[in-house]
This record gives sequence, C-alpha cells and structure tokens, in this order.
Amino acid sequence: MNAAPSRFRRWAVALARHAAWVLPSAPSSWAQAMRHELDYIADDRAALCWAFGCTLASYKARLMRWPRLSPRVPWRHLATSGALMLLIGLALQEHAASQTEPPRPAFDKTPCDPADVSPEIRARRCDPCGAKIAAEVIDHPAQGPDTSCVDRTAPTPPVPKRQ
Amino acid sequence: MPRKPNNSRQTRALLAAFLEQAQMWRHGYDLSKETGLKSGTLYPLLMRLSEQGLLESRWQEPERSGLPPRHVYRLTATGLTLAREQELEAVAAERTGALA
Repeated sequence: MNAAPSRFRRWAVALARHAAWVLPSAPSSWAQAMRHELDYIADDRAALCWAFGCTLASYKARLMRWPRLSPRVPWRHLATSGALMLLIGLALQEHAASQTEPPRPAFDKTPCDPADVSPEIRARRCDPCGAKIAAEVIDHPAQGPDTSCVDRTAPTPPVPKRQ
Repeated sequence: MPRKPNNSRQTRALLAAFLEQAQMWRHGYDLSKETGLKSGTLYPLLMRLSEQGLLESRWQEPERSGLPPRHVYRLTATGLTLAREQELEAVAAERTGALA
C-alpha cells in the first residue's frame, strides 16, 4: 500500500494552508477548523474540492472584513460611477459631433449696410457684396475703398496717389 | 423593501439541518453533505451565524489518535428560536402554495 499522499491531497493541503494565510487573524480558528476537517475526508478529490471552497470562503471573509467593502455598498458605488461615466461620455460625444462642421468665414455674416449710400446703390453693391466692391474700388479709386462689408482684418489695397 | 436577514435558501437549509438534531454537535463536512452546500458557501454562513450569536462552536477531541480535533457547531437558544420560526414559515408557505 502506498502511504504517500496523492497529488490531489497535496494540492488540497496547500490550498488549505493558503486559505489559513488569507484569513485575517481574528477568525483564524475558522481556518484551522477548515484545515482540520480536511483530514476527515477520505476521498482525495473531494478533499481538493473542499479545500478549494475553503479558500473561497477565506477570501470572502477577508473581503467582508475590509472596512470599505461591505456587501452592498461597493456595488452601489460602482453602478453610480459607471452610470455617471456613461453620461459624461455621451455628452462629450454629442459635443464633439456638433464641432465637426468647419468654421464659416468671418465676412459671410458681416452686415452690408453702408451709411451714406442710396438704396439702389446699396442693393447693387451688397448682393453679393465681395466681388462688386472690389470692382468699384478699381473703377472709382478717388472714392476710396468702402470697407463697410469686407473683412477688416485683411490688408487694405494701396490707394493710388493723385497726380 | 429590505430583505429579511438569514432568509436565503442556503441559510434556511442550514438552519433546518441544525434543527433536525438540535441538541447534537455537528461537523462542517457532515453539514455540507446533508445540506448539499459547498465549503465555500457553508463556512461563510457558519461564521456569520456564529457572529450573530445564533451558533455556538467548540473543539471536539478526535475519536481516533493521529487525527486533529474537529470544530463542531450547535444552535444557541436564539438560533433555535429563529430556526423554528423559519420552519413554521416554510410550512405555512407550503400550505398556501398547495391551496393556491
């Protein structure tokens, strides 16, 4: 008869030792109880299953004694944090989607409302305003450029000197 | 509505097993075989019930030499009351289910 413990039995003993190590010091008698119970289980595979369960029980007991881990609170916190992160993510995604349109040119919305011009000329000048203004500046250089509806940040064309 | 404490299926099964032989000291492995609970479920339950004062435990000397002492458990008076209440509730629930 082979008196040496089988592989399963050795694993079971190792697991039971680990379970005892995992358990905090206060309920160490429980670890000893689980370990001693192992010696009364004849079947080696059953002993291994028992030891595995004991290890799980030790981890459970360890987690329950962790001050910030009560059985229900962490899940509530995790669920709230997850929901908040999801909401923030959705809001950021929506914001990013609205930013995809390219910025419009600054002069597009510039009001074309020259002050001292008759309504006819105003209509002719300002619809559309960009190209016609440039043409008028070239045709009538003495009047000077009408910069009322052009981009004021752009450099102004040089005015030719009078002879 | 908050859940009633010690009312899970596993706890009720364990208390019922203790109630069957209320005056006897029971071993963990025997309780596991009787209730079908694995050690990973059984021992946290035993620890919790013991902390709540529903179970008492002690070390029992081995019957054969060469074996370590065993931890044995028994219901306290409070635990016995709770186990009896739960048994009555279970019987009432069975009757209600049978009538419905």
